This record gives sequence, structure tokens and C-alpha cells, in this order.
Amino acid sequence: MNPFRFFLPKRRLNREFDRELGFHFEELVEANLAKGMAPEEARRQASVDFGGREQMTERLRETHTIPVIETAMANLRFAFRLMRKNPAFSAAIIFTLALGIGANSAVFSAIDAVLLRPLPFPHGDELMRLIQYKPKEKTLPMAVAPPRVEDWNRMNSTFQAISGYYTEDVSYQSGTLPEKVTRAWVAPRFLQVWGVAPQLGRDFTPEEEHVGGPSAVLISDRFWRTRLRNDSSVLGKSIKLDGASFVVIGVMPASFLFPDRDVDLWSPVAPDAPYANSREATWYTAIGRLKPGIKIEQAEADLATVQSRLGMQFPKTDAQLAVTVQPLKNEIVGDSGQSLWILFGSVTLLLLIACMNIAAMLLARNREREQEISIRFSLGASRRTIVGQLLTEILVLAVLGSIAGLTLAWAATKAFQTFTPNLPRVDEIALDWRIVIYSLGCALLVAFLCGIFPALRGTRGEIAGSLQRNSRTQVSSRSNGQWALVGVQVALAVTLLIGAGLLLRTMQELARVSPGFDPSHVLVFHISANWAETANMKGLTQRVNRDLDAVRELPGVEAAATSTGLPGVPGQWQVGIKVLEGQQDPNQKIVSDSRVVSKGYFDVTRIPMLQGKPCRDSVGVTNVVVNRSFANTYFGQESAIGHHLQMDATSFPLSGQIVGVVGDSREQGLNTEPMPTVYWCMSAPMPDPYFLARTKTSPMVAANTIRQAIHRVEPSRSVFAMSTLEEHLRDSFAEDRLRTILLTLFALTAVSLACLGLYGTLSYFVTTRRREVGLRLALGALPKQVASRFLFKGVSVAAIGCLCGLAIAAAAGRVLSGMLYGISRFDLLSFAGAVALVLCVAAVATLLPATRAARTDPMNVLREE
Amino acid sequence: MPSYVGRRGIGYKTVSKEKFDLLQGTLDMLILKVVALGPIHGYAIAQRIRQISQQALQVQQGSLYPALHRLEKRGWLDAAWRESDNGRMARFYRLSAKGRKQLSREETDWQRLTTAIALILRTSE
Repeated sequence: MNPFRFFLPKRRLNREFDRELGFHFEELVEANLAKGMAPEEARRQASVDFGGREQMTERLRETHTIPVIETAMANLRFAFRLMRKNPAFSAAIIFTLALGIGANSAVFSAIDAVLLRPLPFPHGDELMRLIQYKPKEKTLPMAVAPPRVEDWNRMNSTFQAISGYYTEDVSYQSGTLPEKVTRAWVAPRFLQVWGVAPQLGRDFTPEEEHVGGPSAVLISDRFWRTRLRNDSSVLGKSIKLDGASFVVIGVMPASFLFPDRDVDLWSPVAPDAPYANSREATWYTAIGRLKPGIKIEQAEADLATVQSRLGMQFPKTDAQLAVTVQPLKNEIVGDSGQSLWILFGSVTLLLLIACMNIAAMLLARNREREQEISIRFSLGASRRTIVGQLLTEILVLAVLGSIAGLTLAWAATKAFQTFTPNLPRVDEIALDWRIVIYSLGCALLVAFLCGIFPALRGTRGEIAGSLQRNSRTQVSSRSNGQWALVGVQVALAVTLLIGAGLLLRTMQELARVSPGFDPSHVLVFHISANWAETANMKGLTQRVNRDLDAVRELPGVEAAATSTGLPGVPGQWQVGIKVLEGQQDPNQKIVSDSRVVSKGYFDVTRIPMLQGKPCRDSVGVTNVVVNRSFANTYFGQESAIGHHLQMDATSFPLSGQIVGVVGDSREQGLNTEPMPTVYWCMSAPMPDPYFLARTKTSPMVAANTIRQAIHRVEPSRSVFAMSTLEEHLRDSFAEDRLRTILLTLFALTAVSLACLGLYGTLSYFVTTRRREVGLRLALGALPKQVASRFLFKGVSVAAIGCLCGLAIAAAAGRVLSGMLYGISRFDLLSFAGAVALVLCVAAVATLLPATRAARTDPMNVLREE
Repeated sequence: MPSYVGRRGIGYKTVSKEKFDLLQGTLDMLILKVVALGPIHGYAIAQRIRQISQQALQVQQGSLYPALHRLEKRGWLDAAWRESDNGRMARFYRLSAKGRKQLSREETDWQRLTTAIALILRTSE
């Protein structure tokens, strides 16, 4: 016999039954014929004897079905019937599960990708950023001079390798039109530090890292795919960049996105090149790979020794420098960590609320069903049957909830990538199965525990007792546990809501701030350039002025200027300043924000001139403009105009005479108070400054005209990254905004869940007290009294929850304090608003069951008695 | 020609000519006993039971085949398609080792039961 017979498809089984029964039938016919019947009569008689063939096939099939599957199917059918009967309850459970699982998985996936996972390089934890700074001057970290990178690499004993890089935008000219691409200039050992090899081709050779050696370039996978069409014979071919040819020697893997994901090319810097030999020109970002097992402190101590030896060797340039080492991951992730942890905290609260909600709902439902279960027990159902059926019911809800949750999580990770392209490592965010399983586990465990145990409790032994408990004379049932669950939910929801309220109020305050400049109608763009142009500063300045003039001549443009930073977009360049006139108090150091701007900057930004004249065109700096804070802080009553300023001890020693004073503006970001600022008047401090143009109409409308105008004067350069200043301002708050939106979303979800819980619990409470209510009404209680009693019960639980929530929020508000602007972390409006909102929603949620209770018909209840 | 159809499919012609059902499980034992004589198909099993019981017991197809499949599923019978005497393909059943054991168990039980019933009938006479 075929042991797999029972698994044969139904059709084949049927055919086999048919054959077997057919044989029997034919035998009957034959026997009848043998008895001497006419053939027709023989057949008729055989059919009569044989009976219904269909029923017989059916019965045969029954013997072949597997009972477990049959039962499971029956349970499933029953579960779906229950779902249809009680769609609100089922939808609530599925919705809650989906939210808990989805939100938690998505946010935790983001945290894992951005913060927890090592960088996507072999032994990513060994990767460090090396920063030089001047301990005496508290200046911001500085870049490193190329010779120093070589010295550090040669003299240290804790790093496998130290390298450096510098990125700039260049014009790629092998296509039909010049296009802007981003090139990283890299010191030797760059790939060695990363531990990554090209997917095609090779690393740079020592010859290529010497002056006069062969020119070589590594290209990114994206560059290879989009611009060179995956050409597998690309190795050895030349591409033209800023007028020079470079030979492609390799293609990096698609996963290698460093220094950032926009990099298209990597070229070697020859350490012996003249421009790479100044100990004062600091332009490398230095990176290093620790030897296995070396701690950061050891590496720092080692580099300190190295640097002090260098200080003796080069007292003028190196004596005042110190080195610090930071894990590269911190550097890349930056401040996003805090936002993500706050989101994770709130989403964990949400999961907690979701679990409690599921618990409360299932507990209530099982109470309702206790009687049904007891009856089924007393009618002889086995414990196994009932548990199996309850399990199936919850399983159906859980599976549907999980599917919805996973869909939500998947959509949310996609949303992360769409809405926060600036979040570091955002490309690495993907649903991690461990996290999904964790969230699934949490929610399902709660569902099963709450679904099964109460049911079992109802079935344990004393069936009669259970039946009695549910008898008609029952007036009340214990439900303190459920009320506590609801109260905690409300408290957590209020906490989240207050947090969201604080962030929302911050956004509101920020929108009210007057920035001191006018960001509307300003177009921002770049023109591709090469750092080599700095060799001829005069030529560079002429070129930039020529470009500016071409823009200024356009009829739609009111004013145009260049700047090293965008107004309102954070990016500090704090430097020490010396006033050349008079005796300077050595204890009072002048520190100011520095911006290098060209003629016309104050017309573009509409920062008002208070005194004197605006910037004039000049090569090198001869005139400066200061803002009111600077003038008031450092010159007091004295007029600032006419004084000479000099930048203190940097590799970029600017100096000039103050020609004017302008109004304060929030150039360091809308949430930052204006600070003393010096505007150094210079149109081309670097090859690639921001170009700003104030347009008469909408900036993007003028964009194309400007592009064409520049193409006429600079046919080989490309104009790129055109956008409005307002967009830049929005982008600089993108993370804050996303954080606020998400937290608000979570808070509102939490409030709806908590009120759903409140509604469900009160509904159940009302149902169990139906008889009591009926009796009261029959004895003369007014419906209003009945309703207000239940209303009071629900609202008082909500109120207690609110109080607890206020306390938690007051204690936990510190977490947010760094993200607030213009309000205290005990902002009355946020706190009161959250409580008012929750109480209102809670009142509505309790009103429905309460009025339903009041409408109970006493006659009906009494008739049931 | 069968004069009646038993509810459980196997009829027993009583003296009073009324319907009578055999004890449940008896059919299984009879089938096992008949199959024990050698490989045999369903139709022949029905015929054989009727012949041996001298027309007293008549097995209905509606019971015979489910019983056969049930026994097969329990592993007491093996089945295979084979050519019958008249050249048509038929499903032949054969007793398995497990089935043989089951048969002897059932026969013992049956003996014990009939002896007991006979004793009771005799004393009450």
C-alpha cells in the first residue's frame, strides 16, 4: 500500500474510489446477467442494490481525512464567525497589534542601523577620526595638514594606518555637457584604512602617489553605472575632469559611500606635491584604523607623544597643537542619536500601551465568555477542544495584526528614507528580522497570555461554581485590574502628548522668530570649481566676480553675492579676533562668528545697514562689516567704524578695516540668538562659495535664466545644487520637524489607544452591571443619575491617569530640554493642553457606554430575572 | 435478492424476519476473517460472507468499503490493484501481520463474549 495515499490530491482519490466501486457494480451486473436477467434489467437491479454511489464516495473520503485538520478548519471557521459577529473588537485588537508591532519595528530598525550597528566596513569599530585642535584657544576642531598626517602615520605605534581626505566638486567633461561630480582627494593608505578593495581594478600604486606620476582615479559604483553604463572595459580608459585627463584604475563597490554618498571619484594626493607640504595649510580630514585590541585612550596618549615630538621639531607650527581621537561612528551619526533615542522611548511606551490595551480588551471579552465556556464544559467539551478553539481565535487575530504591523513597519522604513534623506546612514535602514521578531514576540505573547489564561481560569475544575458566578443574581464583578491598566495607559498617553506638545510649541515659537534677514526670493547655487584655482587668488576673484556680474546683469535679479555660509543654516566658524588699534585687554578675548561675504550680500539678505557702508569688492580683505552685537560688545559707546580687525592665529589670516555696522540676524539658525559676527568682505575666499541671488519673481523661475547666463561666461563650468534659501532653512530643521511629527503621531495614537481601552473597559463594566442598573431604574433612579455615575467612574480613572502622566512628564521633561526653544520644559500650555485633550476624549469615550446604561429598559431586565 | 437493508450495513435475517443490527465492530472482524483466507476484492468479500453465513448475513457496499478503507488505514489490511478472475482490474485486500494479530485478538474476545451470553441465556431458561 502506498503510505502517502492519504496525501493524494482529492481528485485522484475520488478516481480511485470510483474505479473500486465501479468494479463492484460491474460484478453485480454480471451476477444478475448470470441469473438470466435481460441486460437492461440486470443494470437497473444492480443500481438498486448498490445504492447511492455519491454518498458512498463521500463516506470513503471521510475515512481518509485527517481529524486534526478537520478540527482546525472548524476552529478557524468559528474564529472568523466570531470576528464577523464582533467586528469592532476584532478591528481594535488588530489595529492595536499593528501599531505596536509596526511602529516599534520601524523605529528600532532605524536606531539599529544608525546607532548600534558598526559602520559597514570590516571591523568598523577600529575606525577613528583624528582631530587636531589648539587647547589654549578653544577653537573648533581643525582639519589636519597633509605633512602631519604623514608624520602621525610614520611615528605612531597604535594605528594600523592613518590617512586623510578632502572633497571638492569638479566638472566632469567627458559627457555632452559639463556636469558636476564630487571628487575626494585622498592621502596614501586610504583604502587600507577602510579595509575595502575595489570591486573591479586595483588600489593606487606608489608611482601614482608621486608628483609627476601617472594620473589615476577610482570611480564609484554609481558613477560607473550612471555615467559609464556599466562598461566592464572601463579600466585604463581616461575621463576628463576640469580639463585634465585621469585614467580609471578601479571601481569601488556599491556599498562604499565614503566620505559621503555623493562621492563619485577618488584621486590620490601626492605627499610630495608642493601644495601638500605646508604644515599650516590644514585641509585633510584625518582618519585612522586602530590596531586590534587598542583602546581609544591608548591611541590618544600615543598620538600626544608623537605630537609633542613634532612640536619640538616644528615649534612654530606644531607646538600648540593637540590631537584627539573619536570613533568615526560618533562623528558620522552626530546629533541624530538623541532624536532616535527619544523616538525609541516614545515608541516603547506605545508598545506598552498597546500590550495593555490588548490585555484589557481580551480580559473583558473572556469575562463575557466565561459563561459560554462553562456551559460548553458542562456539556462535555474537553479542555483540549476549548483551549484549541480559543487559541485559534487569538491566532487569527494575531496573524492579521502581525501582517498589518509588518506592512506598517515596512512602509515606515521606506518613509524614513524618503523624509529624512539627511539622516546619517539612512541607506542602511532596513527591517531587521531580529527586531521584527522581538516586537511580534512582545505583542503576541501578551495576546496569548491574556487570551488563554483567563479562559483556563474559567474552566478550572469548579464548573458549577463558575456557572453560579455568572448566574443572573450577579450584580458586580471585580475589575480593578482592568481599571488600573486603563489608568496606566492614560498616564503614558498624557506623558507622550506633553512631550509632543513641547516640541510643537517649539516649532511654533521658531516660526514666530524674526530672523533679521529675509529668506524669501533668494536663489542659492554653486558653480563647479577646483581647489587648484587658489594658486592664483587674483584670477579666482576675477572669475567669481565675473560670474556674479553676469548674474547681476539679468533683469530678474535684484542683487547677487557670494558667501561661505548660508544665513540661517547652522555652520559655525568661530575665531578669535584682534583689534589692531589701542591696547587690548589680554583677559578679554574677542571671539566672533566669521562669515566671508561679497559685495551685495546685505542687499540679497536684506540685513539692514545701521552705520557706515556695505562691503566693497577687493582682492584679499581690506574691509569688514560687523553686526550690532559685535559693535556693542567690543566697542561699547565708541564707534566701531574705522578700527582694524585681524583674525587671530589661523591658517587663513584675514584682516581689514571696519567700514560699516549691520543689524543683528539669526545667521546661525533660527533657534540661535544672534551672536557677535564679523563679515569679511571678499568674494572668493574659496573656489566654490555659495552664490546667492535675490530675484524679483519666484527664485526657481529665474533659475534657468541664471544657469544660461553663467554658461555664456563659463562654458566649461557647471551650475549645480540650485535651490531656494527657504528650502535650505526648511532642510536645516528637517530632523526637528520629523521628530516633532513622529512624536505627535505616536502621542495621538497613544491617546486613541488609551481611550479605546477606557471605552472597552467601561462598556464591559456597564454590561456586567446591567441587572443592577435595571433594578435601580425600576426602583426610581433617574437615567441621568445612572449615566453620571458611570461617567464619573470613567472620567475619574482618566483624571488619575492624567495626574500620574503630569508627574512623569515633569520628571522626564529633562530629556527634551535641549530640543526646546522659547519655552520652558514645564510649559503651561503644553501641560494643560495635553490634560484637557485627554480628558475631553476620555469624556467622549465614557459618554457612549454611560448613556447606553441609562437607556437600559428596566422591564426587559426584570423579565429576564 | 436482499429483503432488507440494515442500518449498519450488515443485516442478519432473524426468525421473526425483522431488521437486526450486528454489534459494531463485528463487521471488521468478519472482514478480517474472510481476508485472512487469501487476497480478495471487495465484491468477493461480500459474496463470501453471504455464502459462508448461508445467506444469513448480507454486507452492504455502503458499509463494506468504508470499513475496508478504515482497516487499511489502521494498517491491518494491505491493498493493491490486480487482475481479477474475469480479467478486470480490482482492488485486492490482503491481511497484514498487524491485521493477523488484531484478528486473533478479536476472535478471542468474540468467543469470550458469546460464551458469556450463552451461559446467561442457559441459566435464565
